[in-house]
Amino acid sequence: MAAVKTLNPKAEVARAQAALAVNISAARGLQDVLRTNLGPKGTMKMLVSGAGDIKLTKDGNVLLHEMGLHPRIITEGFEAAKEKALQFLEEVKVSREMDRETLIDVARTSLRTKVHAELADVLTEAVVDSILAIKKQDEPIDLFMIEIMEMKHKSETDTSLIRGLVLDHGARHPDMKKRVEDAYILTCNVSLEYEKTLTLACGGVALNSFDDLSPDCLGHAGLVYEYTLGEEKFTFIEKCNNPRSVTLLIKGPNKHTLTQIKDAVRDGLRAVKNAIDDGCVVPGAGAVEVAMAEALIKHKPSVKGRAQLGVQAFADALLIIPKVLAQNSGFDLQETLVKIQAEHSESGQLVGVDLNTGEPMVAAEVGVWDNYCVKKQLLHSCTVIATNILLVDEIMRAGMSSLKG
Amino acid sequence: MAGGAREVLTLQLGHFAGFVGAHWWNQQDAALGRATDSKEPPGELCPDVLYRTGRTLHGQETYTPRLILMDLKGSLSSLKEEGGLYRDKQLDAAIAWQGKLTTHKEELYPKNPYLQDFLSAEGVLSSDGVWRVKSIPNGKGSSPLPTATTPKPLIPTEASIRVWSDFLRVHLHPRSICMIQKYNHDGEAGRLEAFGQGESVLKEPKYQEELEDRLHFYVEECDYLQGFQILCDLHDGFSGEAQRNIYRLLNTAFGLVHLTAHSSLVCPLSLGGSLGLRPEPPVSFPYLHYDATLPFHCSAILATALDTVTVPYRLCSSPVSMVHLADMLSFCGKKVVTAGAIIPFPLAPGQSLPDSLMQFGGATPWTPLSACGEPSGTRCFAQSVVLRGIDRACHTSQLTPGTPPPSALHACTTGEEILAQYLQQQQPGVMSSSHLLLTPCRVAPPYPHLFSSCSPPGMVLDGSPKGAAVESIPVFGALCSSSSLHQTLEALARDLTKLDLRRWASFMDAGVEHDDVAELLQELQSLAQCYQGGDSLVD
Repeated sequence: MAAVKTLNPKAEVARAQAALAVNISAARGLQDVLRTNLGPKGTMKMLVSGAGDIKLTKDGNVLLHEMGLHPRIITEGFEAAKEKALQFLEEVKVSREMDRETLIDVARTSLRTKVHAELADVLTEAVVDSILAIKKQDEPIDLFMIEIMEMKHKSETDTSLIRGLVLDHGARHPDMKKRVEDAYILTCNVSLEYEKTLTLACGGVALNSFDDLSPDCLGHAGLVYEYTLGEEKFTFIEKCNNPRSVTLLIKGPNKHTLTQIKDAVRDGLRAVKNAIDDGCVVPGAGAVEVAMAEALIKHKPSVKGRAQLGVQAFADALLIIPKVLAQNSGFDLQETLVKIQAEHSESGQLVGVDLNTGEPMVAAEVGVWDNYCVKKQLLHSCTVIATNILLVDEIMRAGMSSLKG
Repeated sequence: MAGGAREVLTLQLGHFAGFVGAHWWNQQDAALGRATDSKEPPGELCPDVLYRTGRTLHGQETYTPRLILMDLKGSLSSLKEEGGLYRDKQLDAAIAWQGKLTTHKEELYPKNPYLQDFLSAEGVLSSDGVWRVKSIPNGKGSSPLPTATTPKPLIPTEASIRVWSDFLRVHLHPRSICMIQKYNHDGEAGRLEAFGQGESVLKEPKYQEELEDRLHFYVEECDYLQGFQILCDLHDGFSGEAQRNIYRLLNTAFGLVHLTAHSSLVCPLSLGGSLGLRPEPPVSFPYLHYDATLPFHCSAILATALDTVTVPYRLCSSPVSMVHLADMLSFCGKKVVTAGAIIPFPLAPGQSLPDSLMQFGGATPWTPLSACGEPSGTRCFAQSVVLRGIDRACHTSQLTPGTPPPSALHACTTGEEILAQYLQQQQPGVMSSSHLLLTPCRVAPPYPHLFSSCSPPGMVLDGSPKGAAVESIPVFGALCSSSSLHQTLEALARDLTKLDLRRWASFMDAGVEHDDVAELLQELQSLAQCYQGGDSLVD
């Protein structure tokens, strides 16, 4: 479960998990050397220096120092690996016009992780269309212009995009009409809850006073009606001509489903917004990680000395993504990884895991996309966290020796 | 809601507030159940002020408290966060995932046996998995009372009560309970202990949004919302070690000042002897016996006091709105008031109200409930008093004609006059508002047994046969804007200045800064000044 979460643009969780993976890899390398020391039947190590000096020891401390393994050197390796990885990311990112089709792919990749496929596909269209509706030319996307409304309802596949507003209350006065077609909307500037979104959805201007009231001040909606569900009343303001604010109406049979869907929708919205802001996407399904690991191994020789161990550890850590993806789908992780790496070497394309077959697939062709900014952020944060963890040990040791003195 | 009840939204923040609230709602519910009993006086208090009518998705009518409560993870025990009223088993089981699923279950809380009868008597899970509630009493008095065959409720053993939901016998609306997942109610780590922690939780967008959504839901359906009554934990209960005392002091001071800034009226409620650093022994009542270490007892007493002093804004006819009550008590910035009560109000057989009041002499008759010291010797600026549960026959003295009245009180012709006259005698020239109600306070189980052992000899509290458990009592309650607050607030400020805050860095780490403390001191001192006897405008 943990590794699957790294696919989730919720960067916070991913940071911790990926860092742990990196740390374990580095530690495992050392562990392999030190493990055989243990006990009377353990292996003695003979260390021979460049000048031919010999030392015989099983002492772990001595071995580490003799082998020149210092946490700081490993972290230097991480830094070098990170720089190379970032460079690689720049090379493989796919810059293109973020048309509806691409955005649908991005949203679907995110949503299919969170809810079942049939619902994910319904939400995908709603999410993308809501962003396209509120997007203003040359202005950043303001996700607050997409209202999210919850409604308890038997079937959640009725979740939909309303080109207009849904308010979570009904009429304020018993004499108000329950349904109006071809309605004019007058918005008053009195700090109403929906003041801003109402004018964005329906047009018109929020008025302070009625002195200069003219038809231009009014907004319009094709249909306004009240809807009662149990003890809750909703007001629908639909069929707006050019709504700059929309509502995603989430329907679900109970509270935990509503929350699950709402969280999924929010993640989906974020993924789409990121793609538009970045102007590019990167192939998903572990494809980037496989290729990046290969590039890092190739790059290793150009890193000086022991720091190479850090680079190797970084590359190994990246491979956890495709490995666990495969594992979660029920395939053998080593076998699958080998297949993918082979395919990538041969074709030069970015190849990830097809979760249905366990076979390699070109992620870009199938429309499995991840956010560029998220991958970039992950590379930065994971490196920082792993570095901090390794260097904390160093500081603690320094502290202890001063106490001994 | 035609008829114009002036709605009140209740907020309960914290665990002790939950205890007081649980007793409070139990009492309100008991009063609802008795509404159609012919022995009861016709509705003096309007339940629509505190309750809301609703409807489940299955068309079932509901009547639930207009309540939002916030408490920490782990404090609910076996009570579900969304309550039991609006459930639909089938719909609740649905999930939006078709792939692999692993379930991680916490150990099930054992169901409180005391509540089993409550859940089964009031509701039934029908074959389609829908919870249908059998009979819901409502203020309109149209539903039948529980029949004679309904089993009497079990009385909870005090040892079995760990959390407030263990003895709450009222169904709450699904939107009432808001749990704060970030901090634990129990356990060794992750507790909510310092003012700064609480402040920052509420500033988090997630909780702000949750709170706002619920507020919108309740407030928007009101026609004449008169205000919010907020029960808020000032500090985390019962002190012992030094750190706890310091935290208690700091939390009390910060809490008090911040609440005062944002409310119309603030009343500390506590059975402790003092709000300051050195805890004083808890108050004692002449006619009831309680265990001050049990929140179950303390909260019951405070709930009864609240049930009395809040009467003015819950009356059916001629209510005093919250705004008016607050205005009356808080002029000149004196937003903090003290509470006091006589629980139960002692009326011996054959006595009348004037007889009883005369027996108190000139002393302040009530037990202080705000940990602000004894009321005697202090000066009152304004007060609101409620006396409930005295039989109409006892309101006035039954003197044979021709007998000279022993006091001015005995000469009055109505209970209301007597009460007003008494207050005038006690505190001449003070703005006093008084209300006299026939309806007593309910103290049937799960209210703890506090009374029978201590009542004045021969006194029968509620007309029940002697020896039987007491079901209702007369209570005298008062809210008072008092000069005792001058000393209390000054003492609080003094205690604070003596603190070396560098030692209590952990409190500060939670989000409070040194500048905040300096500001706090100033505010406390200026608040204290408002209550200085000499500068009032009353004379």
